[in-house]
Amino acid sequence: MLNELMTALHAVATIQNFLIIAAGIWGGVIIGAIPGMTGTMAVTLALPFTFYMDPVPSILLLVALYKGSTYGGSVSAILIKTPGTASAACTALDGYPLAQQGKAGKALNMALYSSVVGDFISNISLIFLAAPLALLALKVGPPEYFMLMVFALTTVAGVSGNSLLMGFVSACLGLLLATAGEDMYGSFRFAFTDDMQAGLSVAPVLIGLFALPELIKLIVFRNPPKARMMEIGDDRVSGREFRSVAKSLFRGSFIGVLLGAIPGIGPSAAAFFSYGSAQRASPRAANFGKGEIEGVAASESANNGACGATMIPLLALGVPGDVITGVMLGAFMIQGLTPGPLLFETNIHEVYMLFIGMLLSSVLLLFAGKFTMRIFTTIAKIPPTLLSPVVLLLCLFGIYAIGNSMFDVVVLLALGVVGFGMFLLDIPTAPFLIAFILGPMIEENLRRALATSRGDPTVLISSPITWIFAALILFVIALTARREIGKANQRKADAK
Amino acid sequence: MKKILASVAATAVLVAGAASAQDYPNEAITLVIPYGPGGASDLAGRALAESAGKFLDEPITVVNKPGAGGMNGARFVSQADADGYTLLLARVGMALSPAVNPQVKTGWDEYTFVGSLEATPMILAVKSDSPYDNVEELMAAIKDDPGVMTYAASGATAIDGFTVQSLLSDAGLDPLNGATIVPYKGGGALATALLGGHVDFLAISAGSLMPHIESGDMKPLAVFSPERMDDLPKVPTVGELGYETAGQITGWSALYGPKGLPDSVQAKWDEVLDEVAEDETWLTLAERRGSISTVGEKDMSAYAKSQYELFRGLADEFGYLGN
Repeated sequence: MLNELMTALHAVATIQNFLIIAAGIWGGVIIGAIPGMTGTMAVTLALPFTFYMDPVPSILLLVALYKGSTYGGSVSAILIKTPGTASAACTALDGYPLAQQGKAGKALNMALYSSVVGDFISNISLIFLAAPLALLALKVGPPEYFMLMVFALTTVAGVSGNSLLMGFVSACLGLLLATAGEDMYGSFRFAFTDDMQAGLSVAPVLIGLFALPELIKLIVFRNPPKARMMEIGDDRVSGREFRSVAKSLFRGSFIGVLLGAIPGIGPSAAAFFSYGSAQRASPRAANFGKGEIEGVAASESANNGACGATMIPLLALGVPGDVITGVMLGAFMIQGLTPGPLLFETNIHEVYMLFIGMLLSSVLLLFAGKFTMRIFTTIAKIPPTLLSPVVLLLCLFGIYAIGNSMFDVVVLLALGVVGFGMFLLDIPTAPFLIAFILGPMIEENLRRALATSRGDPTVLISSPITWIFAALILFVIALTARREIGKANQRKADAK
Repeated sequence: MKKILASVAATAVLVAGAASAQDYPNEAITLVIPYGPGGASDLAGRALAESAGKFLDEPITVVNKPGAGGMNGARFVSQADADGYTLLLARVGMALSPAVNPQVKTGWDEYTFVGSLEATPMILAVKSDSPYDNVEELMAAIKDDPGVMTYAASGATAIDGFTVQSLLSDAGLDPLNGATIVPYKGGGALATALLGGHVDFLAISAGSLMPHIESGDMKPLAVFSPERMDDLPKVPTVGELGYETAGQITGWSALYGPKGLPDSVQAKWDEVLDEVAEDETWLTLAERRGSISTVGEKDMSAYAKSQYELFRGLADEFGYLGN
């Protein structure tokens, strides 16, 4: 094995490969940071280039783009509250308040370190635990999947802000909106127009809800925020701060690895899951959503932790877990390599080269992130009155470019108005978004589980994995109820 | 000055008009893929863009427009300007959806049929540790306990649902309730459902299953294709086994444009497709996807019509149209 590793190292350590990975990472960070341009887009656009490349560099380029864009999403989430990718939605919850407090640099650094640590742990897991994790992932059938997603949905309780009730309302609206379009059995819901038949995509809803209300606020209230808000200011993450978030950071990385390894879950759900757990466990829980650096760490470590791990089912089983690994599967096939158990027997040399390349990409992510951050932080110096129109323009173009669809632009603008209305009514938007993203997975797996059991609901608690999640869900509900009762008592006491 | 400008503009328009008719293409062509990235149709579209782009002198830009079982992208192209700059990577779904779903507004014939591209066989498979070794045993098990066996498919009225339903119907079983459908999205998710033992069997496109058949994790029972597959010479076709309707079902891709494409555009594509048919890149990529190139082989409009009629008949028989 050592010999094989050395030959692989020799083969992969070329200037050409180094440049390809660096270009992929850096390109990914920039694309991820631009609102509306997603990792999926980056990977899909790069696919035709790989037709002319050697197998290993072509896969490494795609992986680098994926990782870079997953990190890059956090940059715009923190600086302009516009998550570049859905998986950075939770990053915006704490990152943007930090930026408003003049700590954008600190939030960006924390996001970068968390991403790199999560990424590194993910790569190590891919290298050493691919086989057992892949087997575990196969055990996750519709009932397990459903329970897991319901548990991820309990994050809503944590991101509801002042009022749990409003958070609940918001989440229900999100679930409702997620049902629009064609369902899995082919019937149409809320298909008022032809475009609605395909349902709403995540990107316009995400950006509409998060970024547009900020711009509308600026227009309606006409009080340009104080200049201080956009200063980079305090930009170091101190050793003490790093130690205080370490637990959430590592927990987030492992959540990312576990959920990333299960086909179909992906970085977004992992980030929500991790953010919720970090908040429940943190002594500074009350500060989450108001600019808590631990929230940034939890979200970013989990979404990058999921990146490398999504390669686990792809490489070990030959099944892609999401659209991006689906494109990678295509790239493998075009190169004449077939992912799956046989890959490790027939192409172990390429597999080792891939692993080494991915480790290298973790290191490059740190440098690319630092370098990009310096460019992007100049954005923070632009006055909001100039920056906002540019952001709006970018959002419009980006959203249009994803599907060449004016309908998506309409969705973006409509959700922007909805988001502003929710702000006026003091309804939090994060539960809406989380529910919207998790909704289809919850519904589909519930219906699949009931189809296989022919309508018997006990299938949902029929295996050890489902028992664990059922217990966790009950635990969170009990914890939330206790906190709410405590709050109510406090209010009563205050009233007296 | 105004006059000069006007005449310059007029000339420009005339020249541009003449150029677009004679020198098609003089700008990039958009090829719409009606499904998401990474799937069999996406790979086929990107391979076509690569090969045909070489013979066109203009690049082909690939755009994914998924949704509504492929009809979202299909509708977009059928309503686009018929100038040859917006084309569709059509799949069997473009003939199937309007046949089985009255809500689908874009008819099977609202296109110009530029040419056929490839046939993509479908495979009926079970997990390798399944007790069933051939189609007959599987059908017998379904008959013994109606509704208990489950199969994964993209949807009841999708092509990979019709493969199973036509087989059940040919075997004299209830096509809708004989086995229970469990819908999944995409070839990867479908294959995972079988690998994880969450469903009992499936009949989906070969490209998504071949890796698992080669690794020994899945057992192929039959192929939905006019002929046996080169890679699986021992596996019979469903037609051979006597399942008549099922034997007519297979996957395919074709190149469509909006209705009323100019003759000059069609002539150019006839030329280009002749080149693509012999192109090494196209043939190699087709083989790796597990499909058989049929570029220029079929009279596409007649074939699309026959496919539509086949599915229309089946939909009527299975009761999808009656309610």
